[in-house]
Amino acid sequence: MAPIKLAIIGAGPSSFYVASRLLASLPPSSPYHSALRIHMYDRLWAPHGLVRYGVAPDHPEVKNCVHKFDAAATDPRLRFFGNVNVVASPPVVPLPQSTELPLSTLFSNYTHLLLSSGCSLPLLHPALPPSDHCVPALSLVHWYTRHPSVAHKPPPPLEKLEHISIIGQGNVSLDVARMLLTPPSTLEKYDIPEPVLDVLRRSAVKHVSIIGRRGPLEAAFTTKELREMMNLEDASMEPIDPSLLVVPEGAKLTRQQSRTMQLLQKGSRNKPGTTPKSWSLDFFRSPTGLAPPNSASSSLTRPYTLSLAHNTLSADKKAIPTGETSTLRTSMVVTSLGHQAEPSIPWYDPDLRHVRTVGGRVVDETGRTVKGVYASGWAAMGARGVLASTMIDAYAVADTILADSFPDQIRRENDALASAAGDGSLGELSEVLANKVDLEGIPEEVNKAMASGDVTDYRDWKMIDEEEIRRGEKLGKERERMDWEEARAFLEHARMS
Amino acid sequence: MLHLKSIQTLPETCRRATTSLSLSHVASRSFSRQTIASTRTHRSLDRCRTEWTRHHTRHNLLTSSLSPLYRQSTCRRSLHSTAAPQHGPITRPAPGTGIKVHFKDSKGNLIKTVEANEGDDILSIAHEYDIDLEGACEGSVACSTCHVIVDPEHYDLLPEPEDDENDMLDMAFGLTDTSRLGCQVKLARGLDGITATLPSATRNMFVDGKKPTHH
Ligand SMILES: Cc1cc2nc3c(=O)[nH]c(=O)nc-3n(C[C@H](O)[C@H](O)[C@H](O)COP(=O)(O)OP(=O)(O)OC[C@H]3O[C@@H](n4cnc5c(N)ncnc54)[C@H](O)[C@@H]3O)c2cc1C
Ligand code: FES
Repeated sequence: MAPIKLAIIGAGPSSFYVASRLLASLPPSSPYHSALRIHMYDRLWAPHGLVRYGVAPDHPEVKNCVHKFDAAATDPRLRFFGNVNVVASPPVVPLPQSTELPLSTLFSNYTHLLLSSGCSLPLLHPALPPSDHCVPALSLVHWYTRHPSVAHKPPPPLEKLEHISIIGQGNVSLDVARMLLTPPSTLEKYDIPEPVLDVLRRSAVKHVSIIGRRGPLEAAFTTKELREMMNLEDASMEPIDPSLLVVPEGAKLTRQQSRTMQLLQKGSRNKPGTTPKSWSLDFFRSPTGLAPPNSASSSLTRPYTLSLAHNTLSADKKAIPTGETSTLRTSMVVTSLGHQAEPSIPWYDPDLRHVRTVGGRVVDETGRTVKGVYASGWAAMGARGVLASTMIDAYAVADTILADSFPDQIRRENDALASAAGDGSLGELSEVLANKVDLEGIPEEVNKAMASGDVTDYRDWKMIDEEEIRRGEKLGKERERMDWEEARAFLEHARMS
Repeated sequence: MLHLKSIQTLPETCRRATTSLSLSHVASRSFSRQTIASTRTHRSLDRCRTEWTRHHTRHNLLTSSLSPLYRQSTCRRSLHSTAAPQHGPITRPAPGTGIKVHFKDSKGNLIKTVEANEGDDILSIAHEYDIDLEGACEGSVACSTCHVIVDPEHYDLLPEPEDDENDMLDMAFGLTDTSRLGCQVKLARGLDGITATLPSATRNMFVDGKKPTHH
């Protein structure tokens, strides 16, 4: 087997699961053990992608997966380079602190490439352009996770907002709703930055409407998250029109659908009207516009008017307008309609809105497999699936990488590799990567940035991780996050002493 | 080294479900095991316990190359921690005295038959015997990666899954009528001879080019 020197773009869970599977598949007892090197690049200074900068703070158990990532990172064959933004063309999200690494550099320095850069752009609603009172849910997620892209941006003015309208009924919507409706005294023990808690403590939010264009059977949220909403301490759900909770005759419900229906029928633990805060699931509504305050009728706390078209379901389960409309007075609109990959990533397919792949292998626009180039996770599948599905996909991609690299015989002897290899014929190939590389070499640009302290490695991250937990402990909470300026200062200090 | 935290300061719901023990190093094989307190803020007490991250043997080899500082830093402290562990690493019973568990792969081929003690859960047993069952959330009922299919006969003997387990099973791949979360299935004497089959996890589930939906 020729050596595998793999560059991975992104250090999210998908990237770590692929790396961990590759490392584990070539253990010290394998003759190929030393023929593997993995360099993981992330544009952020901290690893773990959406596990750090996405997963809701009140779901700390979900983040336990990082222990496996930590274990993988202790293998000297794996190196992490934080703050390195791989760019094909000028970046969409400029991050002042990160070093830019041209894709072409990766091509000439590596034998294999994995695109694992996720789906970082929120999908927008055509009738609801972003403004200071209409923001993507991801901006709020970035705010409460202290994502590097929000450094120095003002927080949402929750002290002035009484009614929030969330467009979209997926789990991210419920994450945001939970953050807005859970008492700060309950949240404060979690991994939520102090400045965020301060804003939440001043919050005037009384009601969150969660609006979806279709019905309860089509809602994307999962039962776990719905149940958490039902059990909120200080909030209750507005009753849902019972006619919407009748299962259409002859409808075959999935297990999840019937359990969702049961939860909705039962309603929230707190009875409506008995709590200081409330929320509602508004089904069969499509936003058609958001009108600014007009001086005559404007209320100070709910100045905006969201117009909604009412829908029904077509035979093929599409939302179709009934012609009826209504309006909703609100203080802020949050759009939560899913995510897509950045169009600037290589082999991006504009129709799919993510990288074009077949069975984990990247395919160019003419249908040729690009030799040695793979994609995994949300970058390859689109923005769907929880960590469990991201993991399963990542393992399959790792097996495919190995199957493509191993001599036939080994491939045949190993079940997983044999099925990953398929029929072994990849069709016509396009080639972009180097054949011969220096196994230990690090690209020039990265070397330079490392020397000036702009790039983090996993050891740096673990030092910061520990320090964040220590600072959190002092405050009686899970951790207190640092931003890059603090982290950099801390690292400089730690390196000197 | 125990890390104690007064649980009196936590709200009632969370005190009830508080998990145990936070930071302790126990030398084992070639590396130091870590106790990870799973942060459960709800559900019944017996389900909330300390989880042991037993990385598979292959990781033991990797971890042994760590500097002590680095090694310690992989330990996570939890705030929801109390003193006594309710659930530790599992110990193998003397051969012939334990409860038998058969592990099978997705094709139904026997991987291994092992023995464990009453109270041990399928995930911990799998880890003890190096069977490839993932436990991404380390037994906190938050990930569904520990999904196993139980043989119907023994499935009927198990206590009904709780709501939170059912919620996670909703999202498990290759769900069957006798699916359970491995981390929630605890051995009892009557379960001797139970079979846990690992579900088939293939990427066929992901049809390339499907339209994006919310996660
Ligand atoms: C708000 C939110 C909450 C979620 N909560 C849960 C949950 O509770 N439970 C659950 O199971 N799943 C949850 N998910 C889903 C889960 O996060 C995904 O399944 C998983 O993160 C996908 O992993 P990934 O590695 O493909 O992408 P990501 O996690 O997005 O990682 C991609 C990484 O690539 C980096 N990157 C991107 N472009 C570049 C570039 N050009 N150069 C260098 N680096 C780059 C990014 O900085 C990022 O670190 C949630 C998702 C979201 C959006
Ligand atoms: S290990 Fe996560 S649900 Fe069992």
